[in-house]
Amino acid sequence: MTPILEIRGVTKRYSVRRGMFEPKRSLMAVAGVSATLPRGEVLGLVGESGCGKSTLAKMVLGLETPTEGEILVDGRPVASLGRLERARLVQPVFQDPYSSLNPRRTVAAIVGQPLDVHGEGTAPERRTRVAEMLALVGLAERHAAAYPNQLSGGQRQRVAIARALILRPSLVVCDEPTSALDVSVQAQILNLLAELQAKLGLSYLFISHNLAVVYLIATRVAVMYLGRLVEVGQAETVLTAPDHPYTQALLSAVPTPKPGRGLPGAPLKGSFPNPLDPPPGCPFHPRCPVAQDVCATTPPALESKQAGSTVACHFAG
Amino acid sequence: MAGDALLDIRHLAVRIPVADGPLHAVRDVSLNIHRGETLCVVGESGCGKSLTSLATMGLLPPTAVRTAERLAFEGEDLLRAKPARMRALRGDRMAMIFQEPMTSLNPAWTIGEQLMEPFLYHGKGNRRAAEARAVELLERVGIAAAGSRLAQYPHELSGGLRQRVMIAMALMCGPDLLLADEPTTALDVTIQAEILRLLADLQREFGMALLLVTHDLGIVASVADRVAVMYAGEVVEEGTTEAVFAAPRHPYTRGLLSCIPIPGETPRGQPLGTIPGTVPSLVGGIEGCAFRDRCAFAREDCARTVPVKDDGPHRWRCVLEDVPA
Repeated sequence: MTPILEIRGVTKRYSVRRGMFEPKRSLMAVAGVSATLPRGEVLGLVGESGCGKSTLAKMVLGLETPTEGEILVDGRPVASLGRLERARLVQPVFQDPYSSLNPRRTVAAIVGQPLDVHGEGTAPERRTRVAEMLALVGLAERHAAAYPNQLSGGQRQRVAIARALILRPSLVVCDEPTSALDVSVQAQILNLLAELQAKLGLSYLFISHNLAVVYLIATRVAVMYLGRLVEVGQAETVLTAPDHPYTQALLSAVPTPKPGRGLPGAPLKGSFPNPLDPPPGCPFHPRCPVAQDVCATTPPALESKQAGSTVACHFAG
Repeated sequence: MAGDALLDIRHLAVRIPVADGPLHAVRDVSLNIHRGETLCVVGESGCGKSLTSLATMGLLPPTAVRTAERLAFEGEDLLRAKPARMRALRGDRMAMIFQEPMTSLNPAWTIGEQLMEPFLYHGKGNRRAAEARAVELLERVGIAAAGSRLAQYPHELSGGLRQRVMIAMALMCGPDLLLADEPTTALDVTIQAEILRLLADLQREFGMALLLVTHDLGIVASVADRVAVMYAGEVVEEGTTEAVFAAPRHPYTRGLLSCIPIPGETPRGQPLGTIPGTVPSLVGGIEGCAFRDRCAFAREDCARTVPVKDDGPHRWRCVLEDVPA
């Protein structure tokens, strides 16, 4: 079976100028990323701000074009798909349900808009489908006539999910879907996403900086650092016994709600490198606790280490 | 105990007039914090945790009404303190760090001018002394090439660096009490870990009391000596971090803990614990337990006044004798 998403050697370069008289420089936001998402699974994409995870998501959604490489959704190159065709295959759910919904339209109009755009069904049929979809995401009938400002953050995110699912896409790109929500609401939305995934046979590309959330929902995890994948594998393996020193550092920095474990992880050396001037060799080597001379000169390739995992490190494990 | 507390808050209430009547944003909050201690106030959006810290600092919006039986800092009554006295205390004996280092620094002033301002305002010394102190603190909070940073503007610094500048600014006069409102929420986890370590080190070094407002129970578990859990404007549970995490007595605290996934521990492929429903409206006030509509163990007497129970240093507001696990 063709995987629902195939990312093949994708690179995205932006040309930036820091000041009026400075020369243009090339910023590599995503550097040669390859990944596969089998149908019905969830690929978690984790990393810190500026690691390129959202740029990758935008390319999967067709909102940005890769400089090199190609992205296939359902076996078809995203670049060759028209806007409407693409929208039927892949839909987004964004982080902030306060800014991703039109404040002047009712919930029913927001959720029904994709049906209007795609000319699906008659008006009464569309109304029925909207009502079914609202019920599916756990909203009450009375919410259909409400405006976004009358809803709580969790309810708004349910509207955003309903809008994404109304065309029955195969792939949903969730970009930090719970980061703007309170923990109790985050739990409700995570449960909803898991339930919908099972019920509708969806596949998610799930982007989050919250490793615990990704651990819960993802089947596979890809860890990004400075535009590159540094570790890819089963969520259970990568997020409990990671091989890459960066994943280890990231995981140990997460504070656990259990007292007596002390402060979260010993900090990494230095700070996040300037993406305009990435370090040579392994991009992580200036901050890496186990780096040796070779790391400063030779970039490590992603290689198989343990059961199903690939790691880009000369000394992993 | 409370007599020699550095900060002693008793029965604090904050009401905000809105179109439909007064919004009871903080209701009957009693907290105290001792020298060198870390108290975490934890809760979800709108629970009143930030307003409690703003009320302490006298920084509430002008329309908000603050009442309390006692609000004392180092034994001094802040309820009767004149604005000039509050200005003298703020930034000197008590200082605050806010969540958004992007918006809480002045974009038109250099880092150096902003760092030196509280030092000069409170008459701690001349400009040369202020500059020396600024460089010393920037180095202490882990900023390299501190001397050259003084001439930089906030936009030239990353989020993590700006938050370090905010911390350094709060420490310029060596405060006895540091209030930090979600100081790491806008930051990546690795930077958050560094800032939390930094705060813990500085606190030990300066003997400060730290009142940390957060929504993250993970942060509470790693830094707090004591924790106060707030819900709908009230403290529903309070105690030593060990006691509250080992045996949470309030159903809300239990619910909150079950909502947080832990890698390697939370079972995958099963629904996560949730708290059904939403927070009640605080307009016009609430009778009885504010959590009863969302509580699995609610019974009739929850609608009446809820007793505060205690088990030594652990206090909670619930009618139930023991919440079933």
